Amino acid sequence: MSRLIAFLSCLAVVSCSRQVAPAPSPDTHLPAVRYEAHVVAGTVAPSGVELTNPHNADPAVAKKGALLFTAMNCDGCHGGDASGWVGPSLSDRRWRYGGADSEVFNSIYFGRPKGMPAFGGTVGVDGVWTLVTYIRSLPVPPTVPTESWLEP
Amino acid sequence: MPLVVTRVAILACMGAATFLCGTSHAADRRGRPSPAPASADSEWRMPAKDFAGTRFSALTDITPQKAPSLHPVWTFSTGVLGGHEGQPLVVDGVMYVVTPWPNVLYAFDLSKEGYPLKWKYRPDVSPNAIGVSCCDTVNRGAFYADGKLFYNLLDGHTVAVDAATGRELWNTPIADVGSGETVTMAPLVVKDRVIVGASGGEFGIYGWVKGLDANTGKVVWTARNIGPDADMLIRQDTFKPPYDHGVDLGAKSWADNTWKTGGAPVWGGVSYDPKLDLIYYGTGNPSPYNPEQRVGDNKWTGSVLARRPADGALVWAYQFTPHDNWDYDATGAMILANLSIGGKDTEVLVHFDKNGFAYTLDRATGRLISAEAFANVTWAKSVDLTTGRPVLDPDKQTGVSKGNVKGICPSLEGGVSPASPAAFSPRTHLFYTSTNNLCMDYAAARTGYIKGTPFIGANSPYFAGPGGNLGAFIAWDAVTGKKVWENKEEFPSWSGALVTAGDVVFYGTLDGWFKSADAKTGKVLSKFKVGSGVVGNPITYRGPDGRQYVAVYAGIGGDWALLSGDVRADDPADMRPPADFMKNIGRHTSQGGMIWIFAL
Repeated sequence: MSRLIAFLSCLAVVSCSRQVAPAPSPDTHLPAVRYEAHVVAGTVAPSGVELTNPHNADPAVAKKGALLFTAMNCDGCHGGDASGWVGPSLSDRRWRYGGADSEVFNSIYFGRPKGMPAFGGTVGVDGVWTLVTYIRSLPVPPTVPTESWLEP
Repeated sequence: MPLVVTRVAILACMGAATFLCGTSHAADRRGRPSPAPASADSEWRMPAKDFAGTRFSALTDITPQKAPSLHPVWTFSTGVLGGHEGQPLVVDGVMYVVTPWPNVLYAFDLSKEGYPLKWKYRPDVSPNAIGVSCCDTVNRGAFYADGKLFYNLLDGHTVAVDAATGRELWNTPIADVGSGETVTMAPLVVKDRVIVGASGGEFGIYGWVKGLDANTGKVVWTARNIGPDADMLIRQDTFKPPYDHGVDLGAKSWADNTWKTGGAPVWGGVSYDPKLDLIYYGTGNPSPYNPEQRVGDNKWTGSVLARRPADGALVWAYQFTPHDNWDYDATGAMILANLSIGGKDTEVLVHFDKNGFAYTLDRATGRLISAEAFANVTWAKSVDLTTGRPVLDPDKQTGVSKGNVKGICPSLEGGVSPASPAAFSPRTHLFYTSTNNLCMDYAAARTGYIKGTPFIGANSPYFAGPGGNLGAFIAWDAVTGKKVWENKEEFPSWSGALVTAGDVVFYGTLDGWFKSADAKTGKVLSKFKVGSGVVGNPITYRGPDGRQYVAVYAGIGGDWALLSGDVRADDPADMRPPADFMKNIGRHTSQGGMIWIFAL
């Protein structure tokens, strides 16, 4: 619970500094994160906050994140190097639930409905950002839309 | 398809004087077949056909002479992707089909043209279970008894559904998805008990089976597969394991209380001997895969357990793979047969284990009669019949301190997948089974238990065993411990087997062929390319029109190596490691669930 409170207060701070796309009438019960890739009904996007990764792209943190990724058994589903196994690849820039920092943070912190566990309670806000930093650091494989069995 | 079905009906009625309608199920009037009276031989009421788990049908219309004219007469898309393991049931002119998650139950009216639905039952199954199922969202089928269908939902519920109306009779929570438990096995129903168990050997579950009241769904007993005697429903005066003695073996054979997260899932079939009043089932791997984190025999993982169905009491147990180093689950079928051993008619249990040995046990005592390799085996040299223990190859033991151990056969997919049950013919006295010809390297890693997350700790890429073919379908003589014939397959063979009194055997392949073969010689009699790879189990039945049909699911999946993952940006055919040992499978098949019905 204390971590949740810490997270919420963190959100509050962030939302003051990085408010985006103001809604027509301010709503005090805003969802934490707006999903940038979602279709907007009508022309006005809902207001929401964008969380900022405090570690940015710090390679030392990414290294720590790699260890955390293994320690939290993330590789058990997402595979070594997060390249995908029974769970989706996290390195190919194809996202089920959005690939913005905020969205990846939310996926790890609160989990997702097809079986992604909520890790926020166990690793805390900084732990989740450390994982996000690692995932962001992964080399992105080339997009290869065709596989051919034709003789060369 | 309606045209074909019409032709079938006409043929059946024209044939009133022929072999087709020469049975008691003959059509009686032109154009209006009479309902076939229910009989055990004409129906398929339980997952493995009978309590003994034989997958043998007494139907004889399809013979080696006629089988070449087998052709599809009906298909239906289940609307679901993912591995279509298990099999349909046919009871009183209705076919029942359970899909992978979301575990829809369909009831098809086989007496009407095109087999329209009588009803469809669509339970609410939590999608959270998807991520907690180690290897796809499979379901291994329903069990019919007393006008009810019993089956398990992936998110840890058992349901009973009224066969006539499709109405839910009860829905009981049995497993905890939050602890890594999902339910994929088909139940066994005997003596008003519904026997169920949970998957989760990759999540460090504390494995169990439960006996539910078939009328109310209430959980009557819960028996752990590992742990102290009290939890395992062991009473010292009635528990007689053939090779072990002592109290709390299921706890003392694990260093540092590691049994608490020790796995021992139940995801295969259950069989039953009414004379001995014993149910038999196999337990899966110990958790985690790194064996150095659970020193000891790890009883009773990788074992067969014999229990009383009424109260769950454990009567005997035998461990195929003590201190499993290789993820050799023993969840494959336990088939009960009578074999002539040394000239004496003997009541045995035969089991094809993931570890590559075929075991024949005395099913009253659990004592070993024989154990011979049916696949290429390198982890052990043989099984000692006096101690019941494998004679290990010390170079193939795994663990963090051993580094990357190379050339272990079979791979952790098994000499046969437990999802691919064998069949037994009392006519040929042979067993028929799919096999895999795969080996692996095994690099264990230290891993920590976190509830609700994978607890594995090993990387184990596969490669083809000797010969280069990745699989085969074989006939096996359990008396001599020898292969009688073998049909090599390019890809691992992952379907269950069906054998009939017409001496025809049926199986499917991963690249999507459904085949019939002569049970005596293995000669392929017919083959048809169904829409997707076959990991289901064929069944046969006599339809309301009096004709013999064969049904099977197509729909590849059921494992992380079987096209069941997500597709990566740089891999359109989704053949990334560890599936890269059969990269070419993507050329022949893709996901998609279909029911296929064949007839002469």
